[in-house]
Amino acid sequence: MGAAVKRQTQSLMLLILGGALLNISAFSTTYVNYVKPGFRPLLVGAGVVLATLALVSLVRQWRGQADGHDHGHDHGPRVAWLLAVPVFAIVLIAPPALGSFAAGGEDDAPAPRPPAPAAFRELSDGAPRLALGEFIGRAYDPAGTSLAGRQVKLTGFVVPSKKKNLWYVTRMQMSCCAADALALKVAVRGVPAPRENSWVQVTGSWIPWKGKIPNGYVIPDMTATDVVKIDQPAEPYE
Amino acid sequence: MTQGTPLDWPEAEDRLPPDSWGRGPARQSLLPWSFVGLIALLVAGRFLLAPHLTAPALQTWATIFVAVCVQALPFLVFGVALSAAITAFVPASFWTRALPRQTYAAVPVAGVAGAVLPGCECASVPVASGLMARGVAPAAALAFLLASPAINPVVLVATAVAFPGDPAMVVARFGASLAVAVLAGWIWARFGRTEWLPVPRRTTAPGPGKWGAFVDAMCHDLLHTGGFLVIGGLTAATLNVVVPRSWLTSVAGIPVVSVLVLALLAVLLSICSEADAFVAASLTAFSPTAKLAFLVVGPMVDLKLIALQAGTFGRPFTWRFVPLTLTLAIGVSFVTGWVLL
Repeated sequence: MGAAVKRQTQSLMLLILGGALLNISAFSTTYVNYVKPGFRPLLVGAGVVLATLALVSLVRQWRGQADGHDHGHDHGPRVAWLLAVPVFAIVLIAPPALGSFAAGGEDDAPAPRPPAPAAFRELSDGAPRLALGEFIGRAYDPAGTSLAGRQVKLTGFVVPSKKKNLWYVTRMQMSCCAADALALKVAVRGVPAPRENSWVQVTGSWIPWKGKIPNGYVIPDMTATDVVKIDQPAEPYE
Repeated sequence: MTQGTPLDWPEAEDRLPPDSWGRGPARQSLLPWSFVGLIALLVAGRFLLAPHLTAPALQTWATIFVAVCVQALPFLVFGVALSAAITAFVPASFWTRALPRQTYAAVPVAGVAGAVLPGCECASVPVASGLMARGVAPAAALAFLLASPAINPVVLVATAVAFPGDPAMVVARFGASLAVAVLAGWIWARFGRTEWLPVPRRTTAPGPGKWGAFVDAMCHDLLHTGGFLVIGGLTAATLNVVVPRSWLTSVAGIPVVSVLVLALLAVLLSICSEADAFVAASLTAFSPTAKLAFLVVGPMVDLKLIALQAGTFGRPFTWRFVPLTLTLAIGVSFVTGWVLL
């Protein structure tokens, strides 16, 4: 193939990549499965830049303005074909948000991010909704036991356990992208486990520690009174 | 063609007659077919294959792979644009004035200058390559390459948020990362050879061709570094799924081994430098020195970065520079952790 043909292929590759990026960020909200919601403007920007660049480059080639050589990188174009791999992964596998497989089996969940000290406000009346991170933070709060005797609602997906009469309501916590996600788990007792990976809202109360707060990381327990199936939240990560 | 008109002579590399001799159109019509094929494959796969690709391990792997690529792409585009802008618009004379002429003095200046590029490691590789193409001493550009992803304000703020009430970690990260960058730059200035690191050659068209040079350089760099980013993403996602996190807790208590293990983990996981502090903070069982090693090594040496460097600077450079940086990063982390943490 001549150099001009190679360059045209390369521009089209950039166009497809930019299109795939725009497809998951601008025209749908699939991107929340992979990165923080705050990334949207960056992704849309990158997609627009890629697509524009490809189109400008194509127009220049069509007009015969581009310089015809490849800066001596003979292997460059071959590596560029790899850019099709993420596009194929997005289209064919359509990867969902991380679920129970990534959250792992039993008790190997790493400890969550330490909550900011004294950041917890009074719980509102009734059974307030809490993020799993906040529930775990409150359970480990040395200042007091703001959870004791309170009914709360937790949202997450179901991870089964090998132990009897126990399952985990789980949410992945992400700081940047899914590669750094950690599992936040709360062990649920008192109700049978729903189907693995289904999204639920659990109403229940925290089971206080036996003795003092543990030193290492132990998954907190709750006694549930009610489990409701829900749709996956718009923001699957915490 | 009449006598006296300059011949439309081809570049020496492709040794083919120019398009004006009549070969162009016939070849060009070839190309879109490979693309039509690619699109057809995508559409067919979407309906025939997609319903069957639902194994949890495969989906988890794909999520992490796509996440690494999607997260890195904006930074890569930004870095490549900056690099192309440096080569197309900033005259070489600017750098000779901005940086000290002595390479040994230029290295620390370039290292500190890394603090102004807000981004993660994907952006710094093309920028460092652009700097070298513009006549900046390779050792100074390398100090910039190493320092910038670790000591820029965004990363330092993220570190402070992840370690509340522990400002020593932010200071240690800044100091240790800058020290590694400067030391690596000096060692490269003293022992590095030109044939290990061929300075990237750029065509710079003068005058009105500047925008053209900008577009060409950006397309070329994006395709090139993007391809290597995919290699890095594939490896990182595979290791992320295959290596169980549970074996970590079993080594957390052993003094020296725990530091080496977290340094290795930083290399394997290839987490963006803006997020690695949160992961480090979650590894509560490990000593502060081990966490520091994780934070110092990650932005300088990881699988994604090794692939990007090999693609940009060549393999002879990478297999010398990566072990050098890794050794320095671990050594400096030990010393800093012992003094500060």
